[in-house]
Amino acid sequence: MLQKFGLAAVVAALTGIGSSAGAVDCPVKLGAILPVSGPMGQVGERIAETGLFAVEQFNEAGGVLGCPVEYVLRDTQGQSAVGVDAAKSLVDLDGVQALIGAVSSGVSLPVLTSVAVPSKVVQVSCCSSSESFTTLAEEGKTEGYWFRTYATNRSQSAIGAKLTVDSGFRKTAVIYVNTDFGVGLAKRFERDIAKLGGSITSLVAYNESQQSYRAEVTKALEGNPDSLFLVAFPVDGATITREWLSLGGTDNLIVNNSLRSDDYFQAVGSQFLQNMQGYDSAQPRLPSVDSFNEMFEARFEGPPNGPGLHSVYDAVTVVLLAMEASGDITGDSIRDNIRLVTSPDGVEVYPGPEGIARAKELLAEGKTIRYVGATGALSFDGNGDVQAPKMTWKLDGDENVETGYMSTAEVAELIRMLDG
Amino acid sequence: MIGLVSYIVFFLILSLIFGVAVLGLNLQWGFTGLFNAGVAGFTAIGAYTMAILTGPARDAVFGGFELPFVVGLIGAMAASGMGAAIVGLATSSLRHEYLAVATFGIAVTIQLVCLNWEYLTGGTLGLIGIPNPSKAWADGPLAQNALYLLMVLVSVGLTFAALERIVKSPWGRMLKAIREDDVAAASLGKSPERVRLEAFVLGCMIMGLSGALYVSFIGYVSPWDFLPILTFQIWTMLIVGGSANNRGALLGALIVWGVWTMSGFIISRVVPSEIQAQGGAMQAVLIGLILVVTLLIRPRGLIGEELHVSRHAGP
Repeated sequence: MLQKFGLAAVVAALTGIGSSAGAVDCPVKLGAILPVSGPMGQVGERIAETGLFAVEQFNEAGGVLGCPVEYVLRDTQGQSAVGVDAAKSLVDLDGVQALIGAVSSGVSLPVLTSVAVPSKVVQVSCCSSSESFTTLAEEGKTEGYWFRTYATNRSQSAIGAKLTVDSGFRKTAVIYVNTDFGVGLAKRFERDIAKLGGSITSLVAYNESQQSYRAEVTKALEGNPDSLFLVAFPVDGATITREWLSLGGTDNLIVNNSLRSDDYFQAVGSQFLQNMQGYDSAQPRLPSVDSFNEMFEARFEGPPNGPGLHSVYDAVTVVLLAMEASGDITGDSIRDNIRLVTSPDGVEVYPGPEGIARAKELLAEGKTIRYVGATGALSFDGNGDVQAPKMTWKLDGDENVETGYMSTAEVAELIRMLDG
Repeated sequence: MIGLVSYIVFFLILSLIFGVAVLGLNLQWGFTGLFNAGVAGFTAIGAYTMAILTGPARDAVFGGFELPFVVGLIGAMAASGMGAAIVGLATSSLRHEYLAVATFGIAVTIQLVCLNWEYLTGGTLGLIGIPNPSKAWADGPLAQNALYLLMVLVSVGLTFAALERIVKSPWGRMLKAIREDDVAAASLGKSPERVRLEAFVLGCMIMGLSGALYVSFIGYVSPWDFLPILTFQIWTMLIVGGSANNRGALLGALIVWGVWTMSGFIISRVVPSEIQAQGGAMQAVLIGLILVVTLLIRPRGLIGEELHVSRHAGP
């Protein structure tokens, strides 16, 4: 059995290598490592389809450097060892020079340190939120090969703290989900709110999928907080909120973006949530976003609601534009050109086949461009991170209404103020 | 062609690291009949010990001693061994499925400790920047990985040779006697409890070695690497390869990890891209199918136990 599998691999690998040895041999391959099965399978499958959609649109505009782009998808099953192997196989056997993925930080990080950086291949994640990436980048260990189109937690804690303090709350309890996402957000929130003049009465972590959170809620109630900052996902978030309210906690809730969900509102009961406020990454008020949403609806017969869809589209498009701009396809040239196709001084270009065709014309004329995509204008900082505009919202009856909007520039200004 | 060689080196590193853990489990289940369903937990202890001993210093996190690789390996084995001794003493009265339930629970507990004890483990962010010694001694990913493969091969070779010697020694025969009938073994003056504990500790130390090798290679450790699926994978490798045979244990690691990864490779080549997002389910089906067929054809594993008859037993 070993021999048979070995043979199949050799044959398949040889055919693969033959077609991708040179710099601009057709087709150009783009690797994707996403969890299309396992615990994240539902989310990953839609992300994978949207990534393919971005490739199809690029191909409609003539592909990269005259070559059609081939999207090679590998499943991580949500496991780091499987993801690392898939990435290595894409790099070595398929000859890809850029990887899209993964979703969870626990898979993206091993892929980055053991495959992408040593092999000098660019990795762009749609969805990994861990602060460890920023730390690694600051230490120079990503060598610039790491990017993500998912706006980091940095802005989430800033806007959460601003919302809390602006509402007049001074003693806030924090309950957060014990994942890299929740921990990073809660820690930053503690620092941010202190700078803005508020204070924390307690920081309580909870583990996911428990029957009851009475112990955590009781602990968070100590110190008589006048508000609760809740970082949770809908099912557990509803359990926590019900217990919080029934044990006498205040209904001055500030909640993170994942709780802007009808599942959560219904499970708690909207009538109990009338003093709740929340924030979310805003769809930027830009024609580029509307046009992406329309194209998506036409293709998938439904709106692009769900995590990672806008950001994976932009991850794919930015990488392909960087390939087009660099004229050859190596990890180094993609890395060096990603900022040139998202340059703030460049001519703006938009998603979709026409936009990409226009971008290619401009690049052929030697102009710099600024890709304004499905998540708005991307601007990667030195660590490969991006910021996104934010909005605040509340419930009015059963209706979810927007109460405020901060553009990318305003968010960046707020963060500068907090970090400065 | 370079790409293929590079990938095979990478594949061998990962599968042999799994192979080390399978050897540890084989000592426990194959030779002694101990149903350890907590493989992931003992691998995690070794992995985190390695990260703490050899990793760089971090604010607000314990450790970062930047000790040499070999010290890390020894420390990892010692820590897993100590953990196993505590667990082994606490569960010494448990057999079979009761031991399985207990060890499974312990592995889940260890994973949760890794997730929550931020000062020691970095919590959910994990520990980053664990050095890979091959990067200091070689240039380029292929040379580095080839060097690391060599180090893994040495570890596997030493573990394999030691285990082969152990199981053929009088102590090894005692393990089998206890596995087959511990009342009979006790009637000959042996102490099944003590021997079981020794085999359990030794097996877990080998699992700790496996975790340490993985962490140094990947350069990162997080609680998400030690979910129960890892225990399942290690068990599958042992059963497919053939328990109570150390060659079978290593072969099982190569085959099962090969099936696991190759199925994804084949699907990415064969399935049209429009429906590849559904390919994950097909991969799971393919893995399950191949494993079931293997077990139907070779119920005792690819290489089962070699049967020995005493030289002194005459007709």
